[in-house]
Parts: sequence; structure tokens; C-alpha cells
Amino acid sequence: MATIEGIRKAYMDFVLTEGAQPKSVYIFAKKNKMTEAEFYQHFGSFEALEQSIWEGFALNTLIEIRGQQVWPEYSSREKGLSFFYAFFEQLKSSRSFAVYSIQQQPKSFTTPRVFEKLKGVFEGFAQEIIKEGIETGELSDRRFFSKKYKDALWVQFGFVLNFWIKDNSTGFEKTDEAIEKGVNVTFDLFQRSPIDNLFEYGRFLVKNGGMQEKMGFGQF
Amino acid sequence: MSNTPKEQNSIPTSKVQRSSRFVKTGIKVGSNYIKHYSKKLFNPDLDRSELNEDNAADIYESLSELKGSALKVAQMLSMDKNLLPQAYVDKFSQSQYNAPPLSGPLIVQTFKKYFGKTPEQIYDKFNLRSTNAASIGQVHEAELKGRKLAVKIQYPGVGDSISSDLKLVKPFAFRLLGMSEKELDVYMREVEERLLEETDYELEIRRSVEFSNACANLDNVVFPTYYPELSSKRIITMSWLEGIHLKEFLATNPSQELRNTIGQALWDFYNFQQHELRAVHADPHPGNFMITPDGKLGVIDFGCIKEMPDDFYSPFFSLTSTNLLDNKEETIKAFRLLEMIHPDDTPQQVEFYYGMYKQMISLFAMPYIDANFDFGETRFFDELYAYGEMISKMPEFKQARGVKHFIYVNRTNFGLYNILHELKAKVKTDTFKPHVTEQFA
Repeated sequence: MATIEGIRKAYMDFVLTEGAQPKSVYIFAKKNKMTEAEFYQHFGSFEALEQSIWEGFALNTLIEIRGQQVWPEYSSREKGLSFFYAFFEQLKSSRSFAVYSIQQQPKSFTTPRVFEKLKGVFEGFAQEIIKEGIETGELSDRRFFSKKYKDALWVQFGFVLNFWIKDNSTGFEKTDEAIEKGVNVTFDLFQRSPIDNLFEYGRFLVKNGGMQEKMGFGQF
Repeated sequence: MSNTPKEQNSIPTSKVQRSSRFVKTGIKVGSNYIKHYSKKLFNPDLDRSELNEDNAADIYESLSELKGSALKVAQMLSMDKNLLPQAYVDKFSQSQYNAPPLSGPLIVQTFKKYFGKTPEQIYDKFNLRSTNAASIGQVHEAELKGRKLAVKIQYPGVGDSISSDLKLVKPFAFRLLGMSEKELDVYMREVEERLLEETDYELEIRRSVEFSNACANLDNVVFPTYYPELSSKRIITMSWLEGIHLKEFLATNPSQELRNTIGQALWDFYNFQQHELRAVHADPHPGNFMITPDGKLGVIDFGCIKEMPDDFYSPFFSLTSTNLLDNKEETIKAFRLLEMIHPDDTPQQVEFYYGMYKQMISLFAMPYIDANFDFGETRFFDELYAYGEMISKMPEFKQARGVKHFIYVNRTNFGLYNILHELKAKVKTDTFKPHVTEQFA
């Protein structure tokens, strides 16, 4: 009986050895001594299978980082950093597949289809730590913008992923640097900053604009 | 606000950013000069100390936002008090203690990468907040089987940025030290080599074990125990050395006796290495030493080791013997071997440099002349600084002289003298004597 994990492994092995997707589910199933029905029981298509592999990377990352003793002590920023580090550390052992899978995707500005499920997990996690950060006051709650925080993190994630694909430094140290700096910058933007003060000052002036006449500045 | 320290968010990343930082500083330094000279127009008596202070503040400000090798260079410049005006020194000395820390998750990541385990799986206790910065790394407190440990972790990517950082620092050093470019090149290469060695923690741990064993019999000098099995390319684990840094130690107003003990331990530590091991801990900045509660000297960093080949050691240290220095012919031979006098120098030049260097060497060798030396004496240091000031203004010294080994050996010995001076220690200087040759082939 084929398991989800077994099918994922067999598929990754196939595309890496053959350099391409199997011609059909029938061929793939036959090669791995299972029936087509067994395959469809778990996955609707090869694309769905690839999506589930990426989703699996993210889910495993979450299990790993949440299991660390320091997890509850981490701030939102640190939780975010921790996800990035652990994700790419884990991806190292499947680097060939990751590179293959990403290179198969057509270039476009929208999220590649294989990442759809991964994005769901990522955004769920991002939403969770952002909410936590806003509650503790670590992050600044801004009207309209705080809803976009998770998108900013996703963009950052895509950036680091692309960086990692091209990274050829020993032990992917450059990726570590990219994470440390990039994720920190993103979280800096989420924090209270002079821009917030500027906005507030502007709002104050708008609201109290009427004061000008009362105080006698109207004549100017 | 998060509890992540603010500083780490603003380290300039790319080379471009870093160079723009230096350019900015350059402009600022330039404008400080303009400020100085315009003030001087109206007040001709104005001395340069205000200018120096302005410059030091601006340079320090920009250096403190950089990590790794640029910080290292700041530390290095702060060592050579004899080369730099006091104002630079005060500012740069700040960089010897603290630098911005790395995030907790990056520490965890570094452990996972090199040991496949998180710190909490390796140690019984591990403090994710670093206690100290070590210029290219940071130090964390940990505990294993009841033993308190110090774990040093290197910043990622330090090695890569060294060469490019040095290129950036060059025009600065050029201006600050007033050296010629050729001279600087010889030295920069030597510095680059040492700095790259410092990023190799596997080498450092081998040397730490080696040197702490070799120096184990010295009185009043203690070393941490090193744990090679808990160390890797980017991580060094050693036992925690209790103690306080020099500045704090001096603030406790220690007795002359205790100052002498610590001073003697320092002297023995350095001179044993120089004259017996022929390789020396070449980073005598105060942050690398601890004074333990029982009044001993703790040495905590073997990142920078300078090996002295015979063709340098023999002519250089032989000059510390009066017998040789009184023999003009042999002294000139030694200067030639050390490239302080060049083959194409005219007889007048030979005479000039012989005179100047003889004066310098006799100053340097003063502590070696008698069996005891009082480093508390300001006169010696005043003479030393005055001499440094003088030659730094002489056009004859704007060209490359002296073999590359001088940069670290000078740094080591003047660093040592400076610490001993701050300690105001009286030291027996004949414990480990230089091996002297009185005639050169």
C-alpha cells in the first residue's frame, strides 16, 4: 500500500533521475508497483503532488521550530527568522528537487502554482506571529497596512528562495546573511517608526485644522 | 518594541552600502578639516585636538556600524597609541568591547548546520542572548554537566568580506597613518593574511590548545579549557573564565603588589612566547584578558598568532642587546637584514636612518636593559610617543621601510607596553630573555 510519503519520495526520485515529469500517472504507478487508483487516492495530479511536497517542507519546518525549547521565548521577529532558517536548512537535503521544481515554473509575477499550498501554510503562520506581535506591542497596528504584513513576508520569502537557488557560497552562508538582514528589515517596517509619528501628526493637523482661525492665524 | 537589540537591523549589507558609508565618513572628515582651517584663520593658536576629536567621532561612528574586519581594523588602529593621536584612541577603544549581536534563530541555525543539533540539545543550558562581542563573533554563556562554558560563534560571511573591507579601509588608513601607498600594500597583505586566519576557528582551537598547553607552567597565567569536540568551523566551546576586564580591574583600585603580579604574568606570557615559542599571541587588546578573582591573568583569545621566522627574530631581538647596538657595523647589518636600510640608500641616508632607528630601537629595548623595569614611569612613554609623533611628521618616513613582520610584532609589543603602563606595573624583565646574536654573517 503506497503512503503519501512514499509517493512523494518516489516522485522526487523519478524527476531527478529522468529530469522530467513522468509521461503519465499510469507509467509512474506501474514503475512504483502500485495501481493508478492508489495514486489518485492521495493526489489528483502530478501538480497536486508537487504542491504537497512543498507544503510538506513548510509543515515539517513548523514542527521542527515549534519543538525547540526556546520557541515560547521568541519574539515574533525571532519566530519569523527561525522559520526562514529552518526551512532553508531542511530544503538543503532536497536542493536538487527544489531547483528542478522551481525551474519548471513559467516566469510570472504571480505565485507559481506549485507554491499554492505552501503559501497557504506560510500565510497562516505569518498571520499567527503577526497577530501575536501586534498583541504584545512588538509590531505596530496600522489601519489597512497591518493586513498586508503577511504579504510582505511572503515577498521576502520568495526573494530568499531565489537568492538561495543562485547561492553558491560554502554552506549557503550568504543565504543566512540574506535571511538575517532581509527578514530583520521587513520586521523593522512592521514596527513603530518615525513614519507613524509623521502620519499621526498629519492627522492631528487635519483634525485640528479649524484651530487656525480661532487662534488668529486665519488672516495670513 | 521587540527585545531584539536595535543595532543589528542596520548593519550595512553589501559592499556598495559599506563603501558609501566610508565615502560619507570621508566627506565628513574632509569637512572637519575645513572647519578646522577656517577656525584657524581667526585663531592661529588653535591646536589640532578638536579636529582630531571631530574626526575620531565621525570615523568611529561609521566603523561601529560595520561588523567583522572593519571593526577589526578599528581595533587594530586603537592599539597603536604611538601612531595615533589620543582622541582617535579614545573613540576606537570603545570598539574593543561591544558590537551589535546576531539574532537567536541565526545562532540556532549555526548550531544545526555544524552539529545537526540545536544548542539546547548539546548543552544543558544555553543563553541565546550573547554576553560579549568578539569583533568577528559573539560569546554566549552555556552550561554542561555543571560546568559553565563560554561559546564563541562567528558571524556568517566574515571571511568573504575581509578582503573587500580592507580595500575600503585602505584610503582611510592611508590618510590616518600618513603612510605611502606602497608601504601600506606590504602591510595590508600581512593584515589580510592574519585576519583570514582569525576567521578559521578550526585553526584557532588547535592553536588555543597548543598555546595554552605550552604556557601552562607560567606563574599566574590561566587559560580556559577548550573543547574541540564541541567546536567547529564557526563555533568554539571553552570553559567560562570568571573575571573582570582591565578597565574594571583598575577601577577597583588594586594594590601595587597585585598590579605587579598581573603585569609580571603578562610580561612572562608574551616574552615566553616570543623568545621560546617564536610565535606570539598578537592581539594584546585589553578585551582579550581577564583578571580572575584570585588575582591571576586569564587569556581568552588565540585568534591572532604571529609566527616569527628566524631571519626576522634574530636581527630584531639581537638589537635589544647593548653589545650589538654599540657596534655600529653590526647594527647596520641588522638594519639591512630587516630592510630598515635599503641597498640603494646613499651613504648619507644610511647614516640618517642608522641614527633614527638606533634611537627607536634603544627606546624599544629600554625595558630589556636592566633586570627590572617600572612601566608606571610616564617619562618612558612620553619619549616613545614623542618619538612616534616626530617620525610620523618626517618626510623620510613616508616610504616603505621595515619588513612586514614589524606590523604585528610592533603591535604586540607596544600593545603589551601600553597595558603594562596602564597597570603601572613594576616587572622583572629578565625572566625570558631574547636570544641574541652579536655578529651577522
